Amino acid sequence: MAEWRQYYQNEDDEVEEDEEDSGGDYKISGRDSLVFLVDASKEMFIKSEDGETSNFDMTMQCVRSVYTSKIISSDKDLVALVFYGTEQSKNPRNSFKHVYVYHDLDSPGSQRVLDIDKLLGEKGAQFAEKTIGSGETSLGEALWCCSNLYSDIKLRLSHKRLMIFTCRDDPHGGDGAKDRQARTKAADLKETGVVIDLMHLTKPGGFDVSLFFCDIVSPPEDESELGLQIEPCRKLEDLQKRVRAKELKKRSQSRLTFSLGEGVNLAVGVYVLARTATKPSAVKLHRDTNEPVRTKTRYFHAHNGGILLPNDMKRAQVYGKKQIVMEKDEVDEIKKFDDPGLVLMGFKPMDRLKLHHHIRPALFIYPEEEQISGSSCVFTALLLKCSEKNVFALCRYIPRRNTPPRFVALVPQREELDQSQTQATPPGFNVIFLPFADDIRTLDAHVGPTASDEQVDKMKEIVHKLRFKYKSDSFENPVLQQHYRNLEALALNMLEPEPIEDLTMPKVQMMDARLGPLAQEFKDLVYPPDYNPEGKPAAKPESGGGAAEKKPKAEISEEELKNHVANSTLGKLTVPVLKDACKQFGIRTTGTKKQELIDALTMQLSK
Amino acid sequence: MSSSSALVLCMDVGFSMSNSEPGQEPPFEQAKKVIQKFVQRQVFAENKDEVGLVLFGTDGTKNRLAKDGQYENITVHRHLMMPDFELLEEIESELQPGGQQADWLDALVVCMDLLQQETMGKKFERLNIVLLTDLNVQTSADQLDVIINSLKKAGITLQFFLPFPLDGEDRADGGGDGPGPSAASARPGKGLSSQQTQGLEMVKNIMTSLEEEDGLEEVHTFRDALEKLSIFKRIDRRPMAWPCQLTIGSSLTIRIVGYKAVTEEKVKKSWTIVDAQSHQRDDVKRETVYCLNDDDETEVQKDDTIQGFRYGSDIVPFSKVDEDQMKYKSDGKCFSVLGFTKQELIRRHQFMGSQVVKVFAARDDEHAAVALSALIRALDSLKMAAIVRYAYDRRSNPQVGAAFPCIKEKYECLLYVQLPFMEDLRQFTFPMLENNKKFTPSESQLSAADALIDSMMLVEKDEDGESVDVFKVNHIPNPQFQRLFQCLHHRGVNPDDPLPPVEPWLKRALERPQAVSARCQAPLQDVKTKFPLKVVVKKKEQKTSADVFGSSADEPDAKRVKVDEEMEFNLAEIAAGNITSVGSVNPVRDFCALVRQKTVSFDQACQQLTHRIEQLLGNRSPEYYMKSIACIQAFRDQSVSSGNAELFNSYMQSLKRSVPDRNLQEFWDLLIQDALTLISKDEVDGSTISKQDANQFLAFEQKEEVQAAPVQEDTGDVDDLLDMM
Repeated sequence: MAEWRQYYQNEDDEVEEDEEDSGGDYKISGRDSLVFLVDASKEMFIKSEDGETSNFDMTMQCVRSVYTSKIISSDKDLVALVFYGTEQSKNPRNSFKHVYVYHDLDSPGSQRVLDIDKLLGEKGAQFAEKTIGSGETSLGEALWCCSNLYSDIKLRLSHKRLMIFTCRDDPHGGDGAKDRQARTKAADLKETGVVIDLMHLTKPGGFDVSLFFCDIVSPPEDESELGLQIEPCRKLEDLQKRVRAKELKKRSQSRLTFSLGEGVNLAVGVYVLARTATKPSAVKLHRDTNEPVRTKTRYFHAHNGGILLPNDMKRAQVYGKKQIVMEKDEVDEIKKFDDPGLVLMGFKPMDRLKLHHHIRPALFIYPEEEQISGSSCVFTALLLKCSEKNVFALCRYIPRRNTPPRFVALVPQREELDQSQTQATPPGFNVIFLPFADDIRTLDAHVGPTASDEQVDKMKEIVHKLRFKYKSDSFENPVLQQHYRNLEALALNMLEPEPIEDLTMPKVQMMDARLGPLAQEFKDLVYPPDYNPEGKPAAKPESGGGAAEKKPKAEISEEELKNHVANSTLGKLTVPVLKDACKQFGIRTTGTKKQELIDALTMQLSK
Repeated sequence: MSSSSALVLCMDVGFSMSNSEPGQEPPFEQAKKVIQKFVQRQVFAENKDEVGLVLFGTDGTKNRLAKDGQYENITVHRHLMMPDFELLEEIESELQPGGQQADWLDALVVCMDLLQQETMGKKFERLNIVLLTDLNVQTSADQLDVIINSLKKAGITLQFFLPFPLDGEDRADGGGDGPGPSAASARPGKGLSSQQTQGLEMVKNIMTSLEEEDGLEEVHTFRDALEKLSIFKRIDRRPMAWPCQLTIGSSLTIRIVGYKAVTEEKVKKSWTIVDAQSHQRDDVKRETVYCLNDDDETEVQKDDTIQGFRYGSDIVPFSKVDEDQMKYKSDGKCFSVLGFTKQELIRRHQFMGSQVVKVFAARDDEHAAVALSALIRALDSLKMAAIVRYAYDRRSNPQVGAAFPCIKEKYECLLYVQLPFMEDLRQFTFPMLENNKKFTPSESQLSAADALIDSMMLVEKDEDGESVDVFKVNHIPNPQFQRLFQCLHHRGVNPDDPLPPVEPWLKRALERPQAVSARCQAPLQDVKTKFPLKVVVKKKEQKTSADVFGSSADEPDAKRVKVDEEMEFNLAEIAAGNITSVGSVNPVRDFCALVRQKTVSFDQACQQLTHRIEQLLGNRSPEYYMKSIACIQAFRDQSVSSGNAELFNSYMQSLKRSVPDRNLQEFWDLLIQDALTLISKDEVDGSTISKQDANQFLAFEQKEEVQAAPVQEDTGDVDDLLDMM
């Protein structure tokens, strides 16, 4: 089985490595920050045996992809790029030799991406040599410089990370004083809450972390991580994966109590691992200055013009002629059934989880030891047992206050690692939302003849020819991609946006080639010669529909309208008819929603 | 072009309906509740269906057919029309048990007549009669065949609601999508009168001749009806058909029709804002203004604004026109196969979107049916699924999704679900749980968990060895709707009453089934003793607002000092008397000046200050919180020193009430940290607040982080079209 891209991509198509994460929608408690500290020594520029990329080039590609992904997903985060072991020096007070601050800590913008582009490839290496060069190395100085970058920032930083990219395991060549200085500076940084990671790259003879860097990097989050990343990165893909796993701080959407009953409670964090990424909403700008403007909404009394405070207003709904009024608090109270949390109802075998019971993207839960100690142990026991017995837990779920309950299936998911020992699926429960009776629609199923074995077998051949290995991250959203290309073009004054490749389009030619005569053979088996599936169905007049609909607008008399008002049957009229009626009576409506039109008419005609 | 249904509720109010065993609710009351619930939902969900109400067993007679002693004691209480609030009130007050008995077959004939007479000239998608009776009356079966034939001819469907189940034993569930009858409530078979037994036979006879064996699924018990919306399923509006073509490559095309089969149903009607006194909507005007981000909040005309988008640190001006011109354009509706893949590669938890679409072959096109059937069966036997590009229409964004084969006893279809784009996924790494020494459960802990799971299985074996699901979520009506309608109904009838509590049956439906609760007692105790669980008491760090926003608002302490300095400095200005009102630039300074100056009354100064505070809070942005806090601090200080607690306290109380509404929780937390609470008796004599109350005042119920619902792109979906109709 081929993978999607390989399967459909022409050999010469360059594989696009845009990397995106949608993560910026959490409540912001401060900015995240990330410093890339990159070794610029000669060794970094040596090309790998199998040819193309040097470690430096690979690092730059990786940095670029983080920049572009930050622009899209978390544009408030701060990123810096610092080289060490350089010939030239450039830093805020120019107090450090052989340290070159290429980008100060700031949110990444279009210009910065262009700056990185200059460092890519063969030309990039030349450019790098000219501007930064390779020289003496003092990691201590470099770390010191970085700590200054952090302290120069006036914003509140919630998460501070520093990633060292190097292929030299003994950067100071045995100079004990420099080693010592680096250790001290690393310790200082860690003290101020900076997490230091090592992204070590391949080096002939192998990279020995224990030689020096083990004292520099932060201790792992838990024991498990230690074993995972002892191998240096060989491929860009691995490096990107490793960087991506660290780069995004995971935040829970909420922390909840998971009650098993009888006061047995554990704490879990709820995470969103997949959600529909949408175009960010537009910002309003002042025409003259391009400066952002804010909107303010306020309520005031129509007659005396006084500002209305929340207490001066109530909520109402109108049914026919009956207005039902409630306080805002009551409207909230109606939605309250219980306190937020997960409550265990029981367990069911996995086959009771129907494929078509889907109403929302899933969530993910993981224990929160800091809230209730012992949670992880119970959680793990349940996870192991549910998975072993092939059952899921059914829970009542209330995500926050004044929110009605939903039932969810907690589906066990055990940890899986990929070949490079990176976590492919995290351990925990997936939270699948289940539909209520209201969410399931009544359908009149179409019943027709079924296919013969011969026909099915032919289709099997077709399916066989067109199979590929689906991976959830194979498809980019063409709408979003186009949007960002457009912005990029405008921001960078490009003549026109770079074209996108729409991966959602079927590769028709390739499919036809793969199928060969199969498609025709199948058609011969199922369709009579004169059948044209692309044409309109043989004119079967839909009862009462069709042309009659497009008659000139049905004007409606005042009397009829009044009747409708009296019987509260206005709702039966269509929106265009209602709009016309409004026009007819000179009623100005603010909205175009059906209910608004009905309300307006009712008000006018019941006078 | 009406897609609504007409339905007649036909209820037995005869005297036997009021009989019940001690401690049990009489069938009359149960049936009345069913009707009430049904009409309630019709009214508040604003369905367009027309409903009539026929009662039989009434003391009087009122129907078109009554003549020569025939069709007596049958009353047409309401002719076909859309149910409204009046009908609800009528049912509540006028629906009373009668003293007679009437033949339910006669009543059925009256209903059929009503339907036929009153739907003449109108078009209805479905006609339905709902009979609620205990069958406890002598019926003459001689007309049965005629009745069945005319029901068939008129296309009228029938539903029966009885106090007892149809069969002597529980019937296993059909397992289909729709809720069917399940566990019986009343004791079956026993204690039925001969009329009832005979009646039951006739009911079975009618239902099976109308719809073969499926017909029996439309015989419900009263209790089922209450909890499972059984009536609605019959007259449900069918989802809109989406005709399209499934394509594989350039030459293989199959004509298909898609229907939204599962989607989250939302409350349709929203609340409008009315004036608290007059209850008039027109008395409240809403105004949105644009202003610059400066201290004066300079207003900008809407016409003077343009739109832009963030691109990292840049904001790129990008007009609507340009955006429309440059945006991604899709070439219309499609359902194109991109390739086929193993089902196991598609993870259930990666389903996206909010719906499942069922895809059938085009109606009445047998060639398409065969072609699609071949695809469905091929996929099913290979355990594969199609990955397709799906676009609803030209205006909507394309999706990538999976089409799974689905083969049922009666039909075959594809189930389409949206899958994620790369941009939708977040790769978080979590520390490992297994093999982690700290968390590894011991053998005895594992066996406790094992026993707990066994005791809490919601699927049980019945006597025949069939497994029965005792907790079907897809049979439970959304409690949000039930509760909303109950409250609307209650408030409509009793405008001055407080809201009623949640109905007991609804509460029960949301709880763990009793049998399961009882069973899991011991295993749960075992879990409790074997797993030590302890709430971690956090040392609540004493953070002040300055700490929280300190770093973003320069050095906090310096700022504090500055405020103080300015206040001092102000005294000079006061002498000059040039402060006449509380401005927005330095409200604290102005306020303190005004209070000292006494050019305006203390009340007025406070009023001006609170106006500024409200303005600042209106921004709901942390930079302004500091300023607001300073204002409140000054307000409090000045109130204490002038010995006037009332203004401050009442302002704080109203502020607190508005916190959830205005989403000011973060701000309130700052008040907590600064301990800016009510002025107590201890501080000002006139205060009505005790020290203790003041201390407790700031506490709020802990609120969870609220995540704004994702704004859905307008993809122009079926529902929008339906709303237009």
